[in-house]
Amino acid sequence: MNEMKMGQWKMENNDKKFEEYLGEFRPRKPRPLPEPIVHRQVWRQRLATSAAIAISLGASLWFILRKDKLSSGEIVAKNSTSVLEETSPACPLALLPLTQLALQDPDQLDAQLTAASLRVLPDFRGSNSTLRVLAKE
Amino acid sequence: MGGKTLSAEDVRRLYDQHGPALVAYACGFVTDAAAAEDVVHGVFLRLLSAEITTPDVPVAYVYRSVRNAALNARRSGLKLAELDPQSSVFRHRDRNQEAALALEKALAELPEEQREAVVMRVWSGLTLEEIAAAVGVPLNTIASRYRYALEKLREKLRRYERNENGAMENGK
Repeated sequence: MNEMKMGQWKMENNDKKFEEYLGEFRPRKPRPLPEPIVHRQVWRQRLATSAAIAISLGASLWFILRKDKLSSGEIVAKNSTSVLEETSPACPLALLPLTQLALQDPDQLDAQLTAASLRVLPDFRGSNSTLRVLAKE
Repeated sequence: MGGKTLSAEDVRRLYDQHGPALVAYACGFVTDAAAAEDVVHGVFLRLLSAEITTPDVPVAYVYRSVRNAALNARRSGLKLAELDPQSSVFRHRDRNQEAALALEKALAELPEEQREAVVMRVWSGLTLEEIAAAVGVPLNTIASRYRYALEKLREKLRRYERNENGAMENGK
């Protein structure tokens, strides 16, 4: 015990100075650790984040594609409707021939207009026609 | 005895705090300062990139890792180069490069456990108790290793130490 104390005392007094002298030497600092190295935890977080982003992007893309599909279906429906409209018997009235007819043969004009009205105007003579129902009410 | 998983911040803090001392320590195995630096760098890169659970005293684990990596590097053909003033591990406060090289050489000639004790004490700033805990040997053993190491170093650096003191006295 005494010897150890002696040893410690010796270290404190004789070696302290030399220890300080050694402290005057500084070992060279190693080059800094590279920043791009991704620590495992950060890596996991980034993986989770990118997975979430990929899922949301995928969902958005799917939604957009689906929407496009639906709207193209609507266009097809619209187109088919317009085709139907085009093929319907509603023929526009041509003003020039009607004017000529009015000057030459007014009776014929009346007959033509009556025939056209049957095609162009809604028919209220049917038993289930809306106008007829409304008229009854 | 539990373990501790080091975070990236822990690893970087250890590197900042003990990196220079570890380079000095590794230099005892590979002699070449650049190789020693590579060894230390490699150990810390591995610590950063892998999930390693270290013992309770991480600094002891790091010293062991550096020792093993340095021995592997030496075994795998790293040449024991002549000490080159340009690639010296140590820098002296008053730019006494000759003394710095002498210290490097003297440290490399110390037995491994003595070198470890002196590097951990002087340049890693650990107390003898901390070194004993880190290395896992009794305090008395560490104190003896340290004392022997200092004696040998003093013997080899006596000339420079005396010159330094003489210069200081002349300067006064």
